[in-house]
Amino acid sequence: MTQTVQTIQTNQSTAAANVQTAAPTIAIRKSCNPDGIGLSHYVLMDKKAAK
Amino acid sequence: MTSAVLSRAEIGPAFIPVDIGHAVYAAVTDPNTAFWALVDKTRIQEELAGGPLLDSYRAKADSFARELHALRFELKPSGVYLNPTERCNLDCTYCYLPGEQRSNGSHMPPEMLTASLGKLRDYFRSVMPEGRKPRAIFHGAEPLMNKGAVCSAIDAFSADFVFGLQTNGTLLDDAALEFLTSRNVSIGLSLDGPFAGITDATRKTWGGKSVHDKVLASMEKLKGYGSWSVITTCTTENLPYLTQMVELFHASEVPTCMLNTVRCTLPGARGVKPADGDMAKAFFAAMDRTHELYRETGRKLIVANFANILIGILAPTARRLMCDISPCGGGRAFFALAADGGLYPCSEFIGLSSFNGGNLLAEGGVEAALTSAAFQTVTTRDVDTFSPCGDCAIRHFCGSPCPAEAYEMNGGMEKTGAFCEFYKEQVNYALRLIADGKANDYLWDGWDEDTETVFDLAM
Repeated sequence: MTQTVQTIQTNQSTAAANVQTAAPTIAIRKSCNPDGIGLSHYVLMDKKAAK
Repeated sequence: MTSAVLSRAEIGPAFIPVDIGHAVYAAVTDPNTAFWALVDKTRIQEELAGGPLLDSYRAKADSFARELHALRFELKPSGVYLNPTERCNLDCTYCYLPGEQRSNGSHMPPEMLTASLGKLRDYFRSVMPEGRKPRAIFHGAEPLMNKGAVCSAIDAFSADFVFGLQTNGTLLDDAALEFLTSRNVSIGLSLDGPFAGITDATRKTWGGKSVHDKVLASMEKLKGYGSWSVITTCTTENLPYLTQMVELFHASEVPTCMLNTVRCTLPGARGVKPADGDMAKAFFAAMDRTHELYRETGRKLIVANFANILIGILAPTARRLMCDISPCGGGRAFFALAADGGLYPCSEFIGLSSFNGGNLLAEGGVEAALTSAAFQTVTTRDVDTFSPCGDCAIRHFCGSPCPAEAYEMNGGMEKTGAFCEFYKEQVNYALRLIADGKANDYLWDGWDEDTETVFDLAM
């Protein structure tokens, strides 16, 4: 399997050429009070009780 | 906050680039805060050097670090996994409980279960906010082998706990189903194959009989009930059939399933452990199929273990499963009670006597167990502190599960678990879905209703 966590070498001139078509940056984070207690042998699925 | 967290904040955040295998996007993460962003992969160096993304993140980095630290180190238990018996009517290849216990073990006497729940109720009242109920999940071995005690306990403590039951599904007769569903008990079943020949390879009775059709019958009866799920344990035996598995679940109107990697705590499980690459290929094909089925029918089949990875990325504190965070939830968000009254960090450890933190009904009870050396061996397992996890960009999206298999299979708590490469690929797959705007298709409707958006950058 390919090593997926790696430093990516970027060609600066290529990057500059693509400035005008750069994709938007995406970064989202949500927050709440934690109350998870599930484990891999069980997941609580009571829609009212579950978060 | 610890001094270690403060020192990181003083140094200032730094991003690590991650190739997620997407045509347009790469990820950058700050693993110290579980922060991530998806950026144009041709502009990685510019993003690493500075600019609006880094500036916006710097303004929030301290609060993200505090949030992650609280999630990892400041939770109080709010759930218990109850093992009302050591016995099971099945002999599954990969079970984490010793065969001698499952074949010849003891039931917890009804009066002991009642006394235990009373003591647990008092403990949870002492640590949980008023008005919030703890969760109590009957777990295995097979809890319905001691059905009378379980049902009596649910009725006696219905005001004190939210109850769940994880069962192999073979003893769910009509009376048991009526009892459990009328009390809104969340029910989990297990099925490993789309047809009997595959299920039978890993899940069968002690006499070698198939239970596939019995589980299908239970699934049929649970159709329409709001609180049920099915677990498939992924092994070498069923990996080629995972796509058919999700097709069966979707056709059976299963609302939620889990496609779990086999836990390799005991040797029997290691004999059916798939290679990481094979696991990833089959798992992602099955996930792709769930998405096709959703698009075709408008009805989701949620794969909870994957949904939890997505949620852990989008909203770290909104996780429901606590295997994918380090330290894991064992011994701090929840703990397990064995049929003999022994307390363990998690059911996964019940077969390992050195992880017994004491007896619930003895002096000290839960509090003594939580501070015991047995529990702290698990609760201090911190991915920041050992290699290779300590340098991994996605270590707080994965959590390096599971401490039980790290300890038993790989020789220590400061080792990875059994599927390191698969977990990396799973995070990459999740990030690709976010990049493509598809993440919500894989999550429960309303999953974020109780969350607040604390960072949202699209530029």
